[in-house]
Amino acid sequence: MWEFLARSLEASTIFTFAALGELIGQRSGILNVGIEGVMLFGATLGFIAAQSTESYLIGFLVGIAIGGLLGLLHGFFSITLGGDQVVSGMGIWILGFGLTTYIGNPYTGPLGLERIPTIFGISPFFYLSIVLVFITWFVLSRTSLGLTIRSVGENPAVAEVSGVNVARTRYLCVIAGGMLMGLAGAIYSLDYNPVWNYNFLMGWGFIALALVFFSMWNPWLLLGGSLLFGTLWQLSLNPQLVLPGLLSRYIWRTIPFAITLAVLLIMSTRWFRTKWGAAKPEALGEPYIKD
Amino acid sequence: MRVGSYELKLKRRLTLTGWQAALISLLAIVVALALFGVIFLLAGINPFLAYKEIFSYAFANPYGLPLTINRFIFLLLCTFAFIIPFRAGLWNIGMTGQLYFGALGAFAVVFAFGGRASRSADLPLVLLIPLMLLAAALGGAGIASIAGYLKGKYNINEIVVTMILNFIAFWLVAFMIKEGGPFMNPGGRGESFELPTSVYAPLIMGVPITLFLALGLAVLLYLMFAKTRIGYQIRAYGKSPAAAKYAGISTFRIPVLVFVMGGAIAGWAGYHYFAAVPGVYKIPRNYGFFGDLAFYGIICGLISQGNPLAAIPVALLFSGLSIGTRFAQGKLHIGFGVDYALLGVLMITLVAFQFFYRYKIVGTKIEEETIDVGVSR
Repeated sequence: MWEFLARSLEASTIFTFAALGELIGQRSGILNVGIEGVMLFGATLGFIAAQSTESYLIGFLVGIAIGGLLGLLHGFFSITLGGDQVVSGMGIWILGFGLTTYIGNPYTGPLGLERIPTIFGISPFFYLSIVLVFITWFVLSRTSLGLTIRSVGENPAVAEVSGVNVARTRYLCVIAGGMLMGLAGAIYSLDYNPVWNYNFLMGWGFIALALVFFSMWNPWLLLGGSLLFGTLWQLSLNPQLVLPGLLSRYIWRTIPFAITLAVLLIMSTRWFRTKWGAAKPEALGEPYIKD
Repeated sequence: MRVGSYELKLKRRLTLTGWQAALISLLAIVVALALFGVIFLLAGINPFLAYKEIFSYAFANPYGLPLTINRFIFLLLCTFAFIIPFRAGLWNIGMTGQLYFGALGAFAVVFAFGGRASRSADLPLVLLIPLMLLAAALGGAGIASIAGYLKGKYNINEIVVTMILNFIAFWLVAFMIKEGGPFMNPGGRGESFELPTSVYAPLIMGVPITLFLALGLAVLLYLMFAKTRIGYQIRAYGKSPAAAKYAGISTFRIPVLVFVMGGAIAGWAGYHYFAAVPGVYKIPRNYGFFGDLAFYGIICGLISQGNPLAAIPVALLFSGLSIGTRFAQGKLHIGFGVDYALLGVLMITLVAFQFFYRYKIVGTKIEEETIDVGVSR
């Protein structure tokens, strides 16, 4: 039972990192639906780097770097070129799916390095994720940088008039967000489950995307959501640990997804919206082109 | 920027004609193939030789051509499943889940008439095949309608929903065909039971009848978008849901309708690949592979700009490319997954080329200036 909880917290960690990255970008008005692709890249290249240099540090750095690069690419398509953010995100997702399958295939199998030591039985990244949630919350809601980011996400035209560089702020956010997504992928393939396999994320990125809508763009709610979905995910992987013999394990696998749908549905009802309110960035998904 | 004696400038396009769009798409494909040639170079293979192998196997080889045609039917149906919601401004990336549900629907009909245990089903073919097609469409439309309903009623992001439904459908297929699931192969190979020979989809000159279904749909969909009221309403909703609502178009009905139509067609794609392709006639163990292929539906849909007739040559090209690349991978000893790499390169090039739908590069000739060197003659 303890082991199950520890694994759940580790799964939550990955959701937290990836979804925080998405949240930062969305707060500045940039929607990145390519989160699964960024994670695949971070996971695959981080895995290859760590295996060939036998250094975890290099693996994580490569994961972060490729995430940042893909954030930059998404920024270029959606900020500089002013393109459709969904098209760009889709492009990054399918690029990630396609290229990592090709690049990673010769590395199929276990990582073969000694496991990263745990702190009180839980991956050190769990503690880091809580620190990051705090930092993100603090920066977004208590600093002038946070105010700038939020104003760019709400109304870029007004922000621009009041002297904010919209493009630069948005670039900062998508790149920082991409780095977190890449790191989330690297944590998956280096720490959570250090085995490379084709298309191994199987929906983590899309759950993280749903989590951001779920969190109402609040980092603390996002942490709560990550804990919920991490536990559900872990439960679906090892149902026999908690409820032996009940339902097929394949049916259990559908449950985190079904509950994600149910949560999204509740969040979107008029009752919920009027009672709790949602801080959806007004300009989310809309390109801002200066004339 | 100056090139030679021309000054190049970016200019915003005010209009985009069909021919211009087609030209840009064609250019995107050419650039993607050139970029992909770099991957061949990195693998130590002459790209021209590789492309020659790919195209000759896909389009001029007695073994490759039928594979290309079968995949073409599949890709075309997936493209339509993407296009219909796309014209309404909605993203259907749930073709994977919809085709799995379509396949499960078709197999459920055979299962219901005792096709799992015996090598023949109880019903005559003329009844059974339409029933299978109907069940496949219902299966695909059923799962897709969830996304349409949630979008129309609660405005929940359809990308997240269709993707989540994909994974639900994936695990449900696993449940149905593995570890004692109802559709499991009696021989227990982790795949579904084989369809009795009597319910194989009829072939016409070696080509499954689903080809005519797909081509017929192309014409019907084209007419629907161009001529009918509902086609107009879908396009109006795609331009601006708010304006469409003002014009009296139901903002609930349109998302549901486009997802039901798209899902039904994706369901037929599932029927086609698991019940009409010679040599398959079952849901194989690596069924995840068919879901990944549905990504080509997104690419074909984007390249053809939502035009069902333009989708025909595009889908044919990509089915040939993916079949040929898979073959070339074995023959030229390139690493596994090179066809997936092609998918990725194509997609990202396409995204970059979206830019040219809104901007064009204009070259203006710079007048030659007479150079006064200050020497009198």
